[in-house]
Amino acid sequence: MEQKTDTRRALAAAREIVCTYRGPRLRIMEVCGTHTHEIFRLGVRALLPETIELISGPGCPVCVTPVSFIDEACYLARECGVTLCTFGDLVRVPGSSGSLADARSRGARVQVVYTPLDAVTYATDHPEEDVVFLSVGFETTTPASALAMKRASAQSLKNFSLLTANKTMDAAYLAMHESCDAYLYPGHVCAITGARVPRALTARGISGVVAGFTASELLTALAVIVKSAGHAPFFANCYPRVVTEDGSPAAQALLHTYFTPVDAEWRGLGVLPQSGLAVAPAYAQFDARVRYRIPPQEGRSNPACRCGDILRGACTPADCPLYGKTCTPEHPVGACMVSREGTCAAWYQYRGAAPASFS
Amino acid sequence: MCVGIPAKVVSVKDGTALVDASGARREVSAELLSSLDPGDYVMVHAGLAIAKITADDEAEAASVLSSIAPAEVNNGTED
Repeated sequence: MEQKTDTRRALAAAREIVCTYRGPRLRIMEVCGTHTHEIFRLGVRALLPETIELISGPGCPVCVTPVSFIDEACYLARECGVTLCTFGDLVRVPGSSGSLADARSRGARVQVVYTPLDAVTYATDHPEEDVVFLSVGFETTTPASALAMKRASAQSLKNFSLLTANKTMDAAYLAMHESCDAYLYPGHVCAITGARVPRALTARGISGVVAGFTASELLTALAVIVKSAGHAPFFANCYPRVVTEDGSPAAQALLHTYFTPVDAEWRGLGVLPQSGLAVAPAYAQFDARVRYRIPPQEGRSNPACRCGDILRGACTPADCPLYGKTCTPEHPVGACMVSREGTCAAWYQYRGAAPASFS
Repeated sequence: MCVGIPAKVVSVKDGTALVDASGARREVSAELLSSLDPGDYVMVHAGLAIAKITADDEAEAASVLSSIAPAEVNNGTED
């Protein structure tokens, strides 16, 4: 009972700190699609004074995946006859000449899986098919792709490979830091990398806090930013029940063994050096680009789509001429409208306003 | 796809855990976690348990806040 009283008092104080902030304008960028969604769903934006601006950054792996990746996947299905296994979010992302859903309607085999490990199981159960898993994701998801390769290797699977567009967040932190005063660092990415990765950014003048996903955790993280802003670069781990200083050594070892850093294109941000993860040369038999010699794909997106600007925090979905008109969750034009974690999808669902839920 | 789901461990066998997430049960890989027992809570991402967690986010909030802003927290008012 005493602990509950302490907690209520602490959260009331946190809300007071955030709601009464009257200092210089404070731009806070979340770089996690789940943060974007939860901030809307919980009504956090409705609590904030005009002096605090929340910017939705490049935190959704589907959204930052370039159009050319979809084109590569469609090429594999169309020209090589492979079975594509994919997370469901990718299926409706428009490529240069259609989505995976369009390809499926024309006869391509596209299987939706929950985890890369299910793709290995599918390949095991269907030895007559060549199976390619579309491996997108940040540090949270990529270890599962590494485990998929580990299992496929142990089984000597010959009909399984990955088409990779995996990315690491630290390059994005560096690329985007001038767009904000502080980051809400993604809690689950930090569970893998450890808090030491964002903590080290303070030496480069970059501030932020690791945040969890519940109302208490988000409010706490925002209060800590407000209390710390305006002084020296700062860092705090506001999600210690999940994030440790060193993260997950086991996951880091998997990434190191099965992947290798490469330059990678991010939708809206361009090519960021060493921000991607490709299949390590020692496991090239699982690299679909090596196995199928995929020719370079052009990657043409709708020129009116402003997903790139939205991912950089340069504008909001409401500034896009397509948003809510030709681009809706039912008929998405840009990737940010496709994924449930995308900024445009969150704006569309909550219409840029939500009721306060902390009272 | 990139959504973490907290879940309670029901059973563990050979690097695989049966977990319960608000009533939905499925098997996930537990290979990243060296010691996992029934009753533990884990964070699951794409079929992989990435971290052991505690269930209490509010105690965490009180702890973090009191270290940053002890005066406000101790003098704050309850709703």
